[in-house]
Amino acid sequence: MTQRINLMESGNPHGVSRDDQNVVLSSLEPDQLVEAKKRHIPRRRFKDSELVLLWGLRVYLLFMLAVVAYQVWTAAR
Amino acid sequence: MKPVAQSEVVITHEDVDRAHDRARVSKARARRGFSSGARLLWLLAGPGVLVMLGENDGPSMLAYAATGAKFGIGFFLPFVVLTFCMAIVVQEMTVRLGAATHRGHAELIFDRFGPFWGWFSMIDLGIGNFLTLITEFIAVRAGLGFFGVRPWVAILIALVILYAALMSHRYWTWERITLAAAAFNLIFIPVAFMTHPHWHSVGHSLITWHPLPGFNKDTLLIVLADIGATVTPWMLFFQQSATVDKGMTTKDIRFGRIDTVLGAALASAAAVATILATAPLFAHKMSADNFQAAEFAQALQPIIGRFGASLFALGMVEAGIVAAITISTSSAYAFGEVARKPHSLNLPMSEGRSFYGVLTLCALAAGAIVLIPGLPLVYVVLLVNVVAVLAMPPALVFLYMLVNDREIMGDLVSPLWASILSKGIVIVLTATGVLYGVSIIAPNIFAALGGK
Repeated sequence: MTQRINLMESGNPHGVSRDDQNVVLSSLEPDQLVEAKKRHIPRRRFKDSELVLLWGLRVYLLFMLAVVAYQVWTAAR
Repeated sequence: MKPVAQSEVVITHEDVDRAHDRARVSKARARRGFSSGARLLWLLAGPGVLVMLGENDGPSMLAYAATGAKFGIGFFLPFVVLTFCMAIVVQEMTVRLGAATHRGHAELIFDRFGPFWGWFSMIDLGIGNFLTLITEFIAVRAGLGFFGVRPWVAILIALVILYAALMSHRYWTWERITLAAAAFNLIFIPVAFMTHPHWHSVGHSLITWHPLPGFNKDTLLIVLADIGATVTPWMLFFQQSATVDKGMTTKDIRFGRIDTVLGAALASAAAVATILATAPLFAHKMSADNFQAAEFAQALQPIIGRFGASLFALGMVEAGIVAAITISTSSAYAFGEVARKPHSLNLPMSEGRSFYGVLTLCALAAGAIVLIPGLPLVYVVLLVNVVAVLAMPPALVFLYMLVNDREIMGDLVSPLWASILSKGIVIVLTATGVLYGVSIIAPNIFAALGGK
């Protein structure tokens, strides 16, 4: 995930000085820039087994939260 | 990936602040010798220590205190150390993810898995964070209550400290202020010494895991509370986002690991010290079933004196304040990443209104709830760690899938041993949760298995 970034000759809309721009370009990796991070990372497709696991864990979590709610309810009574 | 056109590149103040921090790292790395290594550790340590000491929060310290008071010195001493080893395995993955992708955890989940699963993950995080945040303010209120401070004054003090850490609008300064506050978590160590523990028994327990507790619902609840005191979903989101905000790269992963291990070592020392500090209550057969922070301090006063009890209460206050800072920050990071709003502690207020707004709003709302008279908040304190353990397996599966995703991680995917360990942790956490569910729904099963 690297890309080449060129310094704008016409200055910077955020009012960043030339010295600071140089520090940024020499110290940060190109994909560390705020602007570079605005691009989305491509989506991946789930395998069937992964979907089964994710749904299984979702059902597990909902069921267990219901158990916790039941325990709170009985304790409160 | 699409190349960036010249006109698209914009450098922000956030980039500049991060670049200055990184320039110091590069300068230190260029030198040779021990002092250079120490300097690099000083510059790069932070997210790991903060996440571990931050997780030694109000409910966690109460869980350790309850462990000592209920079971004394025995099985739970090495068990707590083991849970921190588990935390190291989990948190190390977030360091690698952050350093390799420069993206926060919430952002990666939304981008890679889509909004459907992303929102599930965010709902888990949001509910867990808010409930935990409430308990942090309860700990602050209870701890300062020991000194006679009024509840609203206690909450105000916590909010002022939280806000003071943010005022510099620099990640580095925020991190150092919060680290300084987190160091007070070690206050539990002198308290443990004041109780004059039987060191031979401590050593024996750490090596042999004996005496073992009985197999029953109470033991299981403490097991769950102690696990929930060391591994929780907010830690994943916080450390990855903090690693990104600090500007760490793949070159810094070794120091990120050292930072995480150092944090775990400090936090486990404080946790073990808390168990040792309250173990005399077990020896005196004192029931601590419904104790909160102030009650533990009061119960310990005859044993360790007013000064020792005051230190214990102050430790609870620190635990609550540091966790309130880190947890509200983790919520703000996650919100910014998902809403695609600026999200960094390097942002000036004018550019980070939504980031600082969410952070402040979470803290204010949780603090305000604690001040509402008559709310049964004791249940929140008791169950928040349990909820954290239950929410961990789905969060860990997302983490596991991301860290083994070669498209975004390249050669930094987990080695086989780390994958086996993380799968094992998911299985252990899920099984513990299921056992807990069984103990509630069918408590007689424990009697059939020889427990109570």
